[in-house]
Amino acid sequence: MLPDQDHLQRSATSDSYNVPCPRAEDFLFDVAPVECITPAAEIYSSGINVALNRWPSIECQHVDPGLAAWTMPSWKPGWPKIRTVGLAFPEAIEFLPPEKEKSDDQSEKVRPIKEPSEGETNAEKKRPKKTRLKPPSDALSLEDRLFYILQQPLETMLAGQELIMPFEPFPHQYEGIGWLFSQESALLADEMGLGKTMQMITAVRLLLRGGQIRRILLICPKPLIPNWQREFRAWAEELPVVTVEGDTARRNLIWKMPGVPILMTNYEVMVRDMEAMPEEERPKFDLVVLDEAQRIKNRDSKTAVVTRDLKRKRSWCLTGTPIENRPEELVSLFEFLEVVNARATPDLRQLSKLADKYILRRTKDIAMKDMPPRLDRDAYLELSPAQKYAYTVAEKEGVVQLNDMGDQVTVQHVFELVLRLKQITNFDPLTNESSKLDRLVADMEEIAASGGKAILFSQWTKVLDWLGERLQQFNPLIYHGGVPTKKREPILSKFKEDPSKHILLMSYGTGAVGLNLQFAGYVFLFDRWWNPAVEDQAINRAHRIGQTSTVIVTRFICNDTIEERIDAVLRHKREIFESVLGDGDVEDAARSLTASEIFGLFDLKAKHGKGTRKIAPKVVEDAA
Amino acid sequence: MASGSKEGKEQIRLGFMTAVEIGDRSFVGGLLVTDRFGRPLEFQCTTPVKPNRTQELLYGPTLVPFILGDLLGKALLDRVSVKPLLVMTSRIEMLQLRTKVDVPIIYDEASSETDSKTTQSEQSVAKEQTVPIGRQTFRTHEDFTDDRSTVEQISQQLSNDANMHEPLERVGDALRETMSTVTARPRVA
Repeated sequence: MLPDQDHLQRSATSDSYNVPCPRAEDFLFDVAPVECITPAAEIYSSGINVALNRWPSIECQHVDPGLAAWTMPSWKPGWPKIRTVGLAFPEAIEFLPPEKEKSDDQSEKVRPIKEPSEGETNAEKKRPKKTRLKPPSDALSLEDRLFYILQQPLETMLAGQELIMPFEPFPHQYEGIGWLFSQESALLADEMGLGKTMQMITAVRLLLRGGQIRRILLICPKPLIPNWQREFRAWAEELPVVTVEGDTARRNLIWKMPGVPILMTNYEVMVRDMEAMPEEERPKFDLVVLDEAQRIKNRDSKTAVVTRDLKRKRSWCLTGTPIENRPEELVSLFEFLEVVNARATPDLRQLSKLADKYILRRTKDIAMKDMPPRLDRDAYLELSPAQKYAYTVAEKEGVVQLNDMGDQVTVQHVFELVLRLKQITNFDPLTNESSKLDRLVADMEEIAASGGKAILFSQWTKVLDWLGERLQQFNPLIYHGGVPTKKREPILSKFKEDPSKHILLMSYGTGAVGLNLQFAGYVFLFDRWWNPAVEDQAINRAHRIGQTSTVIVTRFICNDTIEERIDAVLRHKREIFESVLGDGDVEDAARSLTASEIFGLFDLKAKHGKGTRKIAPKVVEDAA
Repeated sequence: MASGSKEGKEQIRLGFMTAVEIGDRSFVGGLLVTDRFGRPLEFQCTTPVKPNRTQELLYGPTLVPFILGDLLGKALLDRVSVKPLLVMTSRIEMLQLRTKVDVPIIYDEASSETDSKTTQSEQSVAKEQTVPIGRQTFRTHEDFTDDRSTVEQISQQLSNDANMHEPLERVGDALRETMSTVTARPRVA
């Protein structure tokens, strides 16, 4: 919009000209301000008034060019201040690896975790590449949720932190480790043999290394302490584990010892020591783990009460049988997990909802499709003539006695007769004749010839000792409640390592829980327990992760005896349970014989209406 | 020497930075600092930044690199208390941040396969600009030729099998989680 020269020249012919003189800031770009007009010649191009030869008088005056304000370059490149939200992670704790013994050949067995790579085979691709941690459903704050989302995948964690793992975990174990890692309250209820121990140890290892927990208490049944010690050595050898044992003074010292990350004790010691300790002196833990947590299923028991009083931030339970008899047993466990109020009585719907949130349970059918199968075979045997005679006499006399007692008869009287008859089916006490032994020897000859190993379970320690004397050709080892605790571990090691030891004789009470005997391919149930869940636990000592061959389970049942009748009752109960749950999960059933069923074995009726009272002996106690 | 080397390893701090676009051209950025194993040490994320129409017109094609690099990336690196020795990013636009900071910023080449906005010319990178770390190959800023040797030195102290792409996925997930939480939160009147 600069005025053109011609126009200026034309305008200069008048005496007084009002020429607008624009200001520099009126333009969108820099220009020099127009000063005044200088006539270029004496005769203007218009040809007018050539005589006028003087400088015209020019006044400069500002005129609004009429430009709108929005065209002005008033914009500056300003941006809002960027705010950030931060999250700091706890510092990791490093543990020094233990010094290796020279003779230790474990390193050769160690197979470090291989992180999934791009070029995997089809078989490897079957398993998910990454197990990412998920925030727990009750993590509400963004910081809590980000904490889990930003953690490495478990495979990277285990591969990258130079954590030596003896074996690569299975996919369901990765899932379980991740789930435990993110849970403050957790009940890991995997079926026996799926590796609950390993999952718990690895989760603890990661939490400890991540600086999220510093002090852990593990409570387990006393016979399982050596097993846990062994498992910790195998899966987390760098973690110091101290067992609370010894006299009272020593135990007190251990409870208060600082800097010990993992304390281990049994239920009885824990209850005794906590009760003896003043409230304010009781130790505090970041995590308390209950192994075989069904031990606190009775919420009013002293064990349950004292366990609930333990000062802790996280609570985990491990059990393969979260419900042994009634769904209500879960409530006691939930109370320990602090997910229900004290004395709460949730109904089945509420229990189911809590279970979805706080229980992780997988069965072998689902989790371990590649595991070798278990073949069950029931060996129906005829009693030997001497056994048959002894059995018939004992049964007749017993039933007559029971009938003679009339209304005075109790379930205990019937139970004693059942035990007496069961013992005779094992062997005749007068002649030592035993059709079961004959069959066992025949099977064992075959097993020993092929270098195999077998585990035999019986209810009675006396029967085990009796068998031990008669199976010398197979170099038997005996493991039951009568064996001192310190001697038990070497027995298991010998059975594993000595190829000449072909059979391990175990009691249900001591040997059924928590042991890893997957190198044995044969299991014999010499007599039947009262509850198939306990039998399954016994069988799962061999049929568990690490087993490479089919496990053959043989149940000895003598024809036309009490064993056949007990078997029929248990089988019926198992069928009912399966039909209710429909998933083949038979671990949780209330399948111990009731008083009515015991009476029913002899066509007697329960007299006092206590038809649902369980009369089976406790699992943890060995029958003498 | 051994102990010195070990101490050096302990001090390695790796940064993983990315940004995601949410809704109507808003951007949020996140920076995760880890140790050499990928264990998280600190995370920072920004509030969303949305350019207005004038900014879109005037910045033109330089808008996204400016927001991601100069605004978000710079703010994240300024605020983080555990300073990384190296920052890896899955957004090529964040490479520009290198001109503003002293830390090498490198771009995960694998991300370009899924980034439709990356042009053909951008993909053809001089060999001198690429450097392998773990399983991935990264690109340095073309104007900072010394970065390659710096990154190589750090890379030597990391596992050859390390997956450097994975932490960037974590940052992306965390940003999406943050945004979903923030947008789901009811507004207080």
